Amino acid sequence: MIAKKVLLVGNFGVGKTSLIRRFVLNEFSEDYISTIGVRVSTKVVDLDGEQVKMMIWDVAGTSGDEKIPKSYFLGASAAMYVFDLSREETYNTLDAQLEMVKGLSGLNEVVLVGNKKDLLSEAELATVIEQITLTVDLVTSAKEDDHVEDAFIALAKQAIS
Amino acid sequence: MSKRIDQYFIELDVALDGTLQHVVAGGFGASEFTLGRSVYDPCPYLIGTLDHLEEGEPFAMDGMVLVWEGKEYNTDVEMYREPSGVTVLLHNRTNVYKLVDQLNQHRNDLFFLKRELGEKNVELERLRQAADKANEEKTRFLAMMSHEVRNPLNVILGYTEMINKEPVSQEVEDHLKYLTASGRTLKILVDDILDLSRVEAGKLELSQAPIQFSEIMDQIKNSYKSSHRDIEIALHFELDQKVPSFVLGDDVRIYQIITNLMNNSIKFTPSGSVTTRIGLMEDRGNEVLLQMSVKDTGRGMTQEQADSVFEEYKQNTLDDNRIHKGAGLGLSIVKRLVTAMNGTIAVKSEVGVGTDFSIEVPFEKASNEQISSAAVAVEEVKDYIPGSSILAADDNHMNRRIVAHILKKKEVELVLVKDGVEALEAMQGRQFDLVLLDINMPNLSGEALIQQRAAYEQDNASTPFVALTGNTSKEDVEGYYELGFSDVIPKPFTAGQFLEIVNANLAKSSNA
Repeated sequence: MIAKKVLLVGNFGVGKTSLIRRFVLNEFSEDYISTIGVRVSTKVVDLDGEQVKMMIWDVAGTSGDEKIPKSYFLGASAAMYVFDLSREETYNTLDAQLEMVKGLSGLNEVVLVGNKKDLLSEAELATVIEQITLTVDLVTSAKEDDHVEDAFIALAKQAIS
Repeated sequence: MSKRIDQYFIELDVALDGTLQHVVAGGFGASEFTLGRSVYDPCPYLIGTLDHLEEGEPFAMDGMVLVWEGKEYNTDVEMYREPSGVTVLLHNRTNVYKLVDQLNQHRNDLFFLKRELGEKNVELERLRQAADKANEEKTRFLAMMSHEVRNPLNVILGYTEMINKEPVSQEVEDHLKYLTASGRTLKILVDDILDLSRVEAGKLELSQAPIQFSEIMDQIKNSYKSSHRDIEIALHFELDQKVPSFVLGDDVRIYQIITNLMNNSIKFTPSGSVTTRIGLMEDRGNEVLLQMSVKDTGRGMTQEQADSVFEEYKQNTLDDNRIHKGAGLGLSIVKRLVTAMNGTIAVKSEVGVGTDFSIEVPFEKASNEQISSAAVAVEEVKDYIPGSSILAADDNHMNRRIVAHILKKKEVELVLVKDGVEALEAMQGRQFDLVLLDINMPNLSGEALIQQRAAYEQDNASTPFVALTGNTSKEDVEGYYELGFSDVIPKPFTAGQFLEIVNANLAKSSNA
């Protein structure tokens, strides 16, 4: 079994911890408790018969131009940038944010995930997606367990690629 | 002492594959680490990190969370890679991060609160705009309805006035009294509703012209002498001699304030008296503080009733609206007018004893210049109506008859037509001294007619046009002046008001 370090980054309150809790523990809580520093969770996934132990780094959310410490990215195999589909300020500078993550991590690709799909109607969702010039890899809802596993599988695949 | 420090750190020598080789110093989490075993279990964040460290380069990570036996620790980690392995120094910063955590949580809570407030403000703004729009609609509706009511009201009051001048039986005279009183009440009601909507829409503008309280008082006395002959209470008027002869103010609105208060007092005073007093409270040099009070010996109010007496549609009991005519708007309008004049209003009342309304309003004293210019404006004019030729257009035949009746005794050459088209035809080849135009007429409205100047200017280029209309808002009246009307006779009108305006316009054209 191979172990891979992967990171979840993005603005605070976008639901990074909730996505990990849903994926690792299949739990969800409406309470918002902000993450301090880094919490590492582990989950083993099967990718086409290959067991991958994902070391998932839940990095404290940032705000504004706040930068993520570069040291966190050391040895990272993949990263997921999470934004909140219901909060414009979390996706209106996606280009710059993704470039920053790529620069710090040295990764060529970052999985882009829009979370909190449950807070939007179909029409609102379509409007948001249309506003975003980048390709959103997955649209998820940690609350309703919608496409959460798919997002982490995409992350795992990127980690072993 | 040293033991206590031990609890805050641990220094480990770890092989490149993560095997613990040696505990160098410290005791933080010592029981979690076993020599010869991997450090990755107690410190999962070292997986993928140790093997990527560069030799000879110190490396640090802050705020790394460790969970040991269900308890969380926040650690700062320092690492240093040598050829033989890695030195790992864990600092237990749980206490520090607890504070950081709280601050962070507060910061984020504030952020979300701010965001929520922002959303609420947007929603409130939307609701405010909707309320404003609804209010505007209401004002427009009221203005339209008041116009619609004014036309038939003009007919009712006009015919009542006409019948009043005919010899009738005592019984008919009694009936007429009630008809007149009801018509006047209806007129007051319509005016009140319009006034209130105007004040609410912020469209009330007060004039600042030289006014005389002695004159206002005389007008009120005369008005009540004729209109309240049948009431069984005494009306007293007192004017303090110290009140300056002239102050700057809006006489129409002051008249309205005093008469609204008097009407209210008369309404609730079955017997006894109503005393209206105007006095000087304070002389401040260029300004005076005047008190206007209306005191009655009526049924009085409880404190609770007095507290809400200035609210709209409030009369003291539900039955009041039925027993005492009116919608309860008069006092509310008084309060708003007084506020607009930067004044205050107070009410003292005792059940069974009476009520005392007291208003204090500051007024600027009028200068001699202002007084003399006002005196010119009120210069008397002679009667220009007899012998004049007047064209009157109104689609309502009853209104035409009222106009005809009023002008009959003045020996006027009167031509009556029923719309604008007929009025234009009448003006072909004939010059009139005055043209009276209803505004809302079929075929050609008064507004449309006056704009077709080419069609009537050959013979009537200098003829004054006067609008006869129920559209009496300031905006409407200003609009009529802009179109070229020289004056407006608001419906409903009395014979006196009608003749005064007609004469003033005939005077202007004859002096021109």
